[in-house]
Order: sequence, then C-alpha cells, then structure tokens
Amino acid sequence: MTENHTQSKEGEHEVGKNGEDLYPLALLMDELKHDDIANRVEAMKKLDTIALALGPQRTRDELVPFLTEVAQDDEDEVFAVLAEQLGKFVPYIGGSKFATLLLPALEILASTEETLVRDKAVESLNNIAQELSEDQLFHDFIPLIEHLATAEWFSSKVSSCGLFKSVLARVKDDKFRKELLALYLQLIQDDTPMVRRAAGKNLPTLIDLLTQNPDLSTAEDWDYISNMFQKVIGDSQDSVKFLAVDILISILKFFNKKKDITHSKDLLHSAVQMIGDEAWRVRYMAADRFDELASQFAFDSHYIEELTSPFLALCEDNESDVRKAVAKQLPGFSKLLGNPEIILKKILPAVQNLSMDESEAVRASLASEVTNLAPLLQKQDAIDHLIPILLNMLKDEYPDVRLNIIAKLKVVNDVVGITLLSENLLPAITELAKDVNWRVRMAIIDYIPLLAEQLGVEFFDQQLGDLCLSWLWDTVYSIRNAAVVNLRKLTEIFGSDWSRDEIIARLLKSDSQLLENFVYRITLLNALTELVPVVSLEVVNDKILPFINHLAEDAVPNIRFNVAKSYAVVIESFCKDKPKYLELINTSIIPALEKLCNDEDVDVRYFASQSLEEAKACLN
Amino acid sequence: MEIDSDVPMQDASEEPLDPTLDEDSPEFQTQANPGSSGIADHKSSKPLELTASNIGQLDQWIEHLGKCQILSEEDVSRLCKMAVDVLQFEENVQPVHVPVTICGDVHGQFHDLIELFKIGGPCPDTNYLFMGDYVDRGYYSVETVSYLVAMKVRYPKRITILRGNHESRQITQVYGFYDECLRKYGSANVWKMFTDLFDYFPITALVDNKVFCLHGGLSPMIETIDQVRELNRIQEVPHEGPMCDLLWSDPDDRGGWGISPRGAGFTFGQDISEQFNHTNDLSLIARAHQLVMEGYAWSHQQSVVTIFSAPNYCYRCGNQAAIMEVDENHNRQFLQYDPSMRPGEPTVSRKTPDYFL
Repeated sequence: MTENHTQSKEGEHEVGKNGEDLYPLALLMDELKHDDIANRVEAMKKLDTIALALGPQRTRDELVPFLTEVAQDDEDEVFAVLAEQLGKFVPYIGGSKFATLLLPALEILASTEETLVRDKAVESLNNIAQELSEDQLFHDFIPLIEHLATAEWFSSKVSSCGLFKSVLARVKDDKFRKELLALYLQLIQDDTPMVRRAAGKNLPTLIDLLTQNPDLSTAEDWDYISNMFQKVIGDSQDSVKFLAVDILISILKFFNKKKDITHSKDLLHSAVQMIGDEAWRVRYMAADRFDELASQFAFDSHYIEELTSPFLALCEDNESDVRKAVAKQLPGFSKLLGNPEIILKKILPAVQNLSMDESEAVRASLASEVTNLAPLLQKQDAIDHLIPILLNMLKDEYPDVRLNIIAKLKVVNDVVGITLLSENLLPAITELAKDVNWRVRMAIIDYIPLLAEQLGVEFFDQQLGDLCLSWLWDTVYSIRNAAVVNLRKLTEIFGSDWSRDEIIARLLKSDSQLLENFVYRITLLNALTELVPVVSLEVVNDKILPFINHLAEDAVPNIRFNVAKSYAVVIESFCKDKPKYLELINTSIIPALEKLCNDEDVDVRYFASQSLEEAKACLN
Repeated sequence: MEIDSDVPMQDASEEPLDPTLDEDSPEFQTQANPGSSGIADHKSSKPLELTASNIGQLDQWIEHLGKCQILSEEDVSRLCKMAVDVLQFEENVQPVHVPVTICGDVHGQFHDLIELFKIGGPCPDTNYLFMGDYVDRGYYSVETVSYLVAMKVRYPKRITILRGNHESRQITQVYGFYDECLRKYGSANVWKMFTDLFDYFPITALVDNKVFCLHGGLSPMIETIDQVRELNRIQEVPHEGPMCDLLWSDPDDRGGWGISPRGAGFTFGQDISEQFNHTNDLSLIARAHQLVMEGYAWSHQQSVVTIFSAPNYCYRCGNQAAIMEVDENHNRQFLQYDPSMRPGEPTVSRKTPDYFL
C-alpha cells in the first residue's frame, strides 16, 4: 500500500498520516532527506533499529527498495554507512533466503568512485555471500561479480577483485571454476594499473583458498595461476610487480602442502629474480617477507644455501628502507640456515655492518631482532662475536636503538648466562640508567624486575640494589614513580624479609639533607606505602607505620594529605588480621586521621575524611 | 637570552589595540557588556565551598579532560560559574606558599601539558603556579584551559592560574582560541564563557613574599606591589596602563624603560628590575611571555627569570620547555623537557613511509 510513498520523495508526509506504525519509516526518511549531511549519516547509522521496527516483510518491500534508491543519490559519507549497514541486514529481511534482495544496492555502492565506500560495500557483499546457498551464488552472486568485472569503469573492476574469494572454493564444478579464473586473468592484465594492483593484491587469498582445499583444483587451474603470476612479475608498474612476492609465497605454500617439488627450482629462480629486481620496491617487498619466503624452501638445504648470497646482497642494498626491512629478518633466515658455523662466517659480518649503518632507522630495526641470534650461535661464539656488537649498539647515539636492544636482552641471558651478562652488559645498563633522556631511564626500570628474577637475590643486591634506590631521587616525577613501583615488584619477587632488610631499612636511613626537600619526603612516603600490601604486617607495624606517623605533622600540606591516604592503605592491610591489629587501628590510626580531619588545609581535611570513610568500611 | 621576538611582534601588529575603535564592528559589539555569557550573573558573596557532589562532578570532568576530550557546553558553563566563585575572591597579588612549581606559557599544547605533569608530578601532590597563556596557537586550547580551570576549582589551594596577555577577548579572536571554540562547539558560547572568566584571573602572584610572578613584566606606573593590589583587574585587558604592562612587558638589555616592539607594555632594564626587587624586598621576578630556547633564561643578573613551558612551540620552534621547582627552603631547580610523544605515533621505531598506498 505504501510502495508509492517509499519510492517517491513527496510521499513521506502521507506515510506519516497513514498510521502510527509508519512513523519510524517516515521519520527516517525525513532525516535521510535532511539538508545537513550529519543528520543523514546519523539516520543511516540507526537503520537497524528502523528495520526492526518495520519487521522483515516491510523491510523487504519498502525499506530495501528505498535504500537502493538512496544508494544512487547522496554523499559519500552516507554511502559509507549504508554500505556497512547492509552487510548486517540479512537477519532484518527475514533470513538468507531473501539475502539476494540486498545485492542491487551494494552493487551500485561497489561501483562508486570513493574507495572507502567501495571497500565497505565489498566487505558487506562478502559477508552476505557467506549466507547464500549454492543456488543463490550461481544465480545472483556470480553474475554480479561478472557484471562488475566486465564493467567499463575501473572502480567496478577493482571491487570485483575482492569478491572472488567468497565463491572460488565453493564452486565444485571444474568448468565454472575455470571460467572464474579466466575472468580473473583478464583483471590481472587489465589496462589500468589500479585494477591490476587490486587483482594482484587479492590473488594470494585465492591461492590460499585452493591450498586449504588441496584436492579441489585441477592442473588447468594452475596453468591459469601460473600465467597470472608471470603477468604480475613481468608488469611494467613497480606498484603491481611487487605484489608478486606474496603471490609466490602462496604458490609455494600450495605445492608444499601437496608435497610436490617438481616446480621448486623454477620458483626458486623466480624468488632470486625478485630479490635482485632493479625496482627497489620489489626488493623491499622481498626483504620484508624474506623469512616467510625462504622458509618455503626449508625442505632442501641446498635451496637455502642458494638464497644466502641474495640475502646478503639485500643487507648491503643501496636503499635504506630495504636494509631496514631485511635487518628484521636476520634471526629468521639464520634459523633456516641452521648451521652455527655458517651463521658466524656469513651472517655476523652482515650484522656487524648493519649495526654501524648510516641510517638510524636501519640500526633501530636491527636492534629490535638481533638478540634472537644468540641462541643460534655456539655459546662461545655468541660471547666473542655477538655480544661486542650488542654492547656497541647499547652505546648508539639514537635512543631507539638502545631501547630495542634492552627490551630483548632476556634471550641473551638465556644463552650466555648470568655471570657473563653481568660482566659485559651490566656496565652498559648502569650507563643507560643515567641517560639524559628520561624515557630511556624508564625503559631500564621497566626491565629491572625481569632481570632481577633471572639474576637471583644475591647478585641483585650486589649489582643493582643501589641503582634501584637511586632512581627514587631522580628529578623527573615519572622516574621516581616508576622506581616506587619497581620496589614493590622486587619485593614481590624477593619477599618481605628481603624488602625489610634491603629496601625499607635503607630507605629509613635516607640522607636527612635530601629529605629537607618535600619532593623526596613525598617519594619516600609513596615508596613505603606502595610496599604495605606486599610485606608482612609486622614489617608494616614495626617499620612503615612509625615513619608515616612521623610525617603526619609535616609542615607541607601535600605531605599531610598523602599521609592520610597512606593510613587508609595501612588499615586495609591490618584488616587482614583484625584480632591482632583492631586495637591499634582504633587507638592510634583512627585518632590520627580524625586529627587530620581538623587540619587547617582543606585538601588534608578532604583526603583524611575519605580515608576515615574507607577505614570504617573496612572495619565493618 | 634567545628571544623569538618575531612571534610576539605579530601580536602587536595584528591585534586591534584600541577597543574604542572596534566598538562599531559587529564582532566587538557583544563585548560592550562583559559577562554576557551569563557565567557571572549570580556571583556568590563568599568563596565556593565544594560539596561531595561537586567534587564527584569535578573529578569526573578532570578524568574526562585528562584524555583530551572536551566537556559539553553545559558542563563548561557550570565549570565557569564555579570558577568565578573561586577566582573572584583571589587577590590581584595572589599569595602562594612554597613548595610550588612555577610554569610558563602552555598555548594549547595539551599533550605537552600532560608531559609537564609527568615531569613535575601530578596535581594535587605537587603545587603549581601557571603564569598565563593557556590558549591560542596550539591545537587544544579548549582542552588545556578547561583542564586547568577544572583543576583550579577542584584544588584551589594547590594550583594558581594567572592571566596572560592571550587570556583576552581581542587576542583570542586573532590567534586561534575563538576559531577553535567555534569549530569544536559550533558556536562562540564557550569562547564567551571562558573569556568572561579570564577577567577574574589574578594578574600576579607572590611566592612567600620573595618571588614575584606575573606573565609579562614591570610597569613604569607600578613601583610597589601594593600598587598592584589597588588595581581593578576584573575587566578585559586594557590596551595601556599598569594592568596592560604587567601582562605585556619584557626585560631588555638596555637600561631604563623602552618602547616595546610589541605595541603594548614596555621594555625594562636591569636598573628597573633591581630597584623593584629592592623596594619590595624580593629575591626574584619570575615571568613567562617570551620563547626561550632552553625553556628558561636568566636576565638582569638573575633578578628576572623567564620560564616557557611549551616545548617545540607552535609545533616547529624546536625549543625545550622548562618548569621551576621552588622547594620549602626556597631552593630552585629547573626541569627541562622535550615535546611529548604524540598519541598514535609509534614509541620506538619510525613509521614506515607509505610508499605502497
């Protein structure tokens, strides 16, 4: 009855008159025709609510045709939301048997010029395809793909490239699948590079689908794929050609799964060709994916050997971006080489060079992975040849290099052991702990608990104890705060007794001149308060509480309100053993808090009353 | 001292210095009636006392603003009304106690303000004194000034916010705050509220009777601090006179008073600073207002210090920022810092160039 109305723009008000139940649609359509684009976008986002209100029948009969009309006449922002919404629309129109009704609108959206809209439309089409029956695929979806793929404009063709993955593995009929691949081959050699790029980009996904269904594809299918690969690798545009790397990886994975090595030699040849390509973007891609590419040849050590000199060539590439990419691949490829002798002789010289690369980005990239070489070398070789490189990198003028090395030192520990680490790396760490850049100092502090766990308590006390305490007196608040948290973590590792003797006792003996500055009194208070939950109640009672009490009369209000906060933490801990500490709480801490509640400073009064409330909640 | 005098000089050339000239132009007509935003229509007769619900509300706003998200227009209105009832009772020379951390220009560089708190410590644990210029130039003036004002209302004893020459209706229309409000709220209402509120900001502070803090510098019409106390500060920054000078003047290597290249305020020499400090029994004048490459700079043989807290000012000057910690024994320590890491940027390795897009 309202077909007319939904289709004609003038009809919207009549729809409203027809009855209350039509109100939502009328309102939506009003909003969808609003002058302000923001209103139209908002209305689109509420599409699912409207569809629910209308019910499946009317959503199919009225809303979907209306939206198909909107898809032809609005702004890109509205299209983007519509394209996304339609992908989730199957339940609202009565389930998958009606899903093809959504295709016309999405087909229009998949042909728009704006990439964002197209991408969302393609995503939604793929979502819907999951719900379609075989019959619907053949009657509606595949024709839609063919339609887009043979359209005049590149935008439609680009979208079509993203849709094949929804159907390829579901077509059991060899003839139909061959037709699809033939169509895809056309896209791979399209006149416009945009289409070729989209086709090249989606090809690995298609090949992976065949790998997941190894018995599906025929030799003829693979003739097509081989043909496509040759087209991409020979493309005149670098931005298409570099996609061949991922395609090759996918092809190799398929044959490895089939345990078919008849093509390995040819494919290795293609790989070497791309690694040495004259276009640096192709070399970059090969460098970036080197580990994954090479590991496809792992079944034969001769092939890996053949890849070694191309790999080393990438390490000396003229383009710093290529070197940066390959620097991350060193441990992965070394693992494939397997032989510690070869790694030492061939790879380490390259590491040495990259560690002194003129580009800081290359050095930082190397630093992020290089420590993983340690387990691949003989222990003595690691000590003699890798550690010196790491030590040098820890002195790099660029902080990211130093940080990346520190972040991954654990693996070096595991190999060379604690003693050697202490002799060689600790001096460097101590040096960095005083770095002028506070974020470098911060990174070192973050690393300390990890180190402590591996070093053990005795060694830690000797080598790092002082350092950990010294950070409390840093001029930067964030470092002092990290130092406080670090002490709690160390206490969790080494225990309450250790903390009492090595930390708390020393904190309480802090230089009185230093403590004349309230910054350091507040830090000390924070440190001791942070330890309260992780040390024994005896330690809290004997050592920490007296210090807090002593600061309750400090001249600086900021100290006093932090004392009030500390009391709450102490009470919460004491509540774990009420029989023993209830009296102390009631006769000592609560009166102290009550006194602070009458402080001359408003903030002290506030935080004291907050703590008092928390205390009461704990006690009840 | 390295001073980027180019930047402030633009202030002078572009700002409409004489408000009387502008009263005919439409955008200035609304200013004929200060308080037109209504935030000061129902001023309290005694300082704001926070209730539990106020505190809850403020803590929530501070948390929200701390994530660099703006408040709604209604909340800004509520915040400004509360702020009027805090700031109207502060003095022209607001007394401040040590320990305190003294900071200079922020200029809407919100992420660098957060970096400042990472260096100096969070408020209220650390006491702060900001010497003006919270808005203009940077991209987050609204967030910056909202955050500082919310802190001020929540912890009035822990933070002091003075007025800078950019806390003014005229200057903010030229240097970004007005446009930013318009962009973020769709109307000038929030700009009106804040600029009305700026009239109530104290113009100077005195740290334990020893360190005189203000945005710009001295005025030939002010010999004693008591004379500052006698000014009527609740008004738009005038284009001349003592209140204008306090917010606009700069120290200079030349002795005596000089004409300021900025077109407002004066330049003053070492003789003037020393005389002022002697007359008022001060140890130091701390001020902001000028870009200094190290973040702080001494002048007049340590009679005057300039502090600037916007690192890489305008996102391109390459300067460090600094704050000055004064402890309870009046020891001073300068903390310098660099721009914060921008959110969304990788913290370790550099972003790969988008060659393939």
